[in-house]
Amino acid sequence: MPPITRRNFLADSAKASALLALGGTSVGSLLSACGTSSASSEATTLAVEIDAGQNANPFMWFANDMQSAVGVSPKIIGLPFVGQYEKIVSEMITRSNVYDVLVFPPFFVGDFVAKGFLHKLTDFGSESDFKLDDVLPVYRDVYLKRNGNLYAAAYDGDQLQIAYRKDMFDKAGITKAPTTWDEFVATAQALHQPPTQYGNAFYGQRGFCYGWFINIFAANGGKWFSSDMTPGIAGDAGVKALETLIKLKRYAPPNILQIGYPELNEAYLNGSTAMVVQWNDLALKAEDSTKSKSVGMNGYAPSPVANYMPYSRVMAISAYTSNPHNSYKLIQYMNRSEVSIKDVYDPNCGEDPFRTSHFDTSAVKDHTGKPTMSAAAATTYVSANKGGLAIGYPELSIPGAPRYIDILDLKVNEALSGGSTAAQALKSASDEWNSITTALDKSAQVKAYADWVDSFHKAGINY
Amino acid sequence: MAAVVGRRRASGGGRRFALLTVAPATLLLVGISIFPLLWALRLSFMQDSLLSVATPHFIGVDNYAHLFHDPLFWSSLGVTSVFAVSVITIQLVAGLAIALALDRLPRYQQVIATILLIPSILSPSVVSFQWRQLFDYYSGPLNYFLGLLHLPLQGWTASARGALPALVLVDFWEWTPFMVLLMFAGIKSLPRSVFEAARIDGSSGWQVTIFQTIPLLRRVIAIAVILRLIGAFKIFDIIYSLTAGGPGTSTESLAFYTYVQGFRYFDLGYSTAMAFVTLILITVLARLILGFMERPIGRSVG
Repeated sequence: MPPITRRNFLADSAKASALLALGGTSVGSLLSACGTSSASSEATTLAVEIDAGQNANPFMWFANDMQSAVGVSPKIIGLPFVGQYEKIVSEMITRSNVYDVLVFPPFFVGDFVAKGFLHKLTDFGSESDFKLDDVLPVYRDVYLKRNGNLYAAAYDGDQLQIAYRKDMFDKAGITKAPTTWDEFVATAQALHQPPTQYGNAFYGQRGFCYGWFINIFAANGGKWFSSDMTPGIAGDAGVKALETLIKLKRYAPPNILQIGYPELNEAYLNGSTAMVVQWNDLALKAEDSTKSKSVGMNGYAPSPVANYMPYSRVMAISAYTSNPHNSYKLIQYMNRSEVSIKDVYDPNCGEDPFRTSHFDTSAVKDHTGKPTMSAAAATTYVSANKGGLAIGYPELSIPGAPRYIDILDLKVNEALSGGSTAAQALKSASDEWNSITTALDKSAQVKAYADWVDSFHKAGINY
Repeated sequence: MAAVVGRRRASGGGRRFALLTVAPATLLLVGISIFPLLWALRLSFMQDSLLSVATPHFIGVDNYAHLFHDPLFWSSLGVTSVFAVSVITIQLVAGLAIALALDRLPRYQQVIATILLIPSILSPSVVSFQWRQLFDYYSGPLNYFLGLLHLPLQGWTASARGALPALVLVDFWEWTPFMVLLMFAGIKSLPRSVFEAARIDGSSGWQVTIFQTIPLLRRVIAIAVILRLIGAFKIFDIIYSLTAGGPGTSTESLAFYTYVQGFRYFDLGYSTAMAFVTLILITVLARLILGFMERPIGRSVG
């Protein structure tokens, strides 16, 4: 039984009042309101919360097939990409049942499990329904489970990746993608010919620019925290990483601080930028002649030394849904290898490989069966993905992760905009991180972090 | 005497009747306005974070004390102040100038006034979206025209120096028409005979504007400034949509920072304290402006 708190009391009182007011309601409805419904009494059109835009497309592509196969269909509720966390939490703390299925990045999982926002998937079926053996260990062990329990199913396996223009490299006499960050900076400098050609671009806008910092920080051997939750970002690895990012700004388009996900795609796809670090789905768009000016001229490679894996998406059942069994069916359907493989190679969505079976290059086709890239490009892309996973550096996913990350993002952005030095920005972020750890109970955070790191080791990640 | 007692009785009954009549409205006011305000005031003295393990508890003035040591609060206050002073000054001058010009038009005043209202009627998200397109580095029309003139292309909201002026520009576009309409309505309500007398006395158009129109419009100007001051201190929507407070904290206003604390970090106590400080600031500034308005009009107008 959950502890009686002010919020629980208010919510329970509201529920009791509603039940009293509905005195004549059937027993079935009452059971449903209490969350103990059976699949037959549940709604079949389910509210799916997801960041709005291309990532919701697969749900709609498969809506009819899903209805035929498992008897349910999605109703998409799109939320802004930046701002998704606060919107979900705002709904969940009032025990709203507005969402049945939640699709969100795994760095929310720590908070959501701690606050009881999610059902365990195994309450409604078996782990074997999700063919976890086929899910890449880094996503399976780090992103889907907490305390040994399966709370989510994979939907998207993100990682950062270098996309570069082979023709521009050839012209400058550069024969391969950079394998160290010093090489990366030198390559960007060599290719920088403004205003017609920029050496590199990255996510510089506030919201996710921290990810491009962590990508370099990881390569420098940085760790999020030490075992006693001392922040690692303000050490040498962090300061050097941020200084490298600031240096890269010199060889980037002048609007670099305005560049977010779509703008970064545009900067590369419009042919003005020689090399970018971007989420891996850029490759699918770069090989699509309706979106790109560089089809057949692109190379793909993992980030130098370490490869950060920010975001990704998982699907979970809201603890307050009235339709948990049917939500389970929807999640299980979308997670199937034969469905998800069509998403992860379609340039009209942002989903990326998360299953071993997704690396079958013969499956590089969109959801209609049309090939989306040449065999040669597909081989390079899959190879870059595999290479990235081998040196993968997972996203922080402990309780409070969204807040730690938001502060870091703000400070990185501040340094990029010239408001502070790298050392000042990271010291300030580190101090804020200590305050967050204290507020969340340091001993609980130490344990949560240790468990999380342990899950890396199980997944074979060298951290 | 009997008549006096009767009157007293009548006034006693009248008072009860009056109380009975205003009671529903008073209760409604207390219920939907005063009670939430008091509840929020209480919250500002609590440690209450929805994502913290700690049970909400009373911490006195700690949230308010923390504000004074929070550099982000001060920087957001600075951003808000610069934004407010900039938009109010520019909009007031432009609004008054356009309203005076509009007043001199022989025809189409109503049509123009109606068209002018469009930017202020538009939803802020639509305004933000359209300006996002205008500011776009690669495909925005602003940079297109700069390119035609062989001038360097601008990042607009991409630099810490340029982002706040860009927001001032958006607010100018959105709210100057509102200022024009207020001024125009004020000018129309002024007695024409005063201006005619001044003209007969030989005053030039410029002298009439400076020494008669503007002093007579003082109350309208004060109301307009207060309305825009409140709007500027609450600025959130275009910041959220266009810059998200960045680059760095260069466009993080008080309202945006309050939102971050309340709805991103779910620190209800601290964000409520911040909201009350904002409320106090606006109230004090509005009181100062009203005080200025209530000062007797000087000799130049008499």
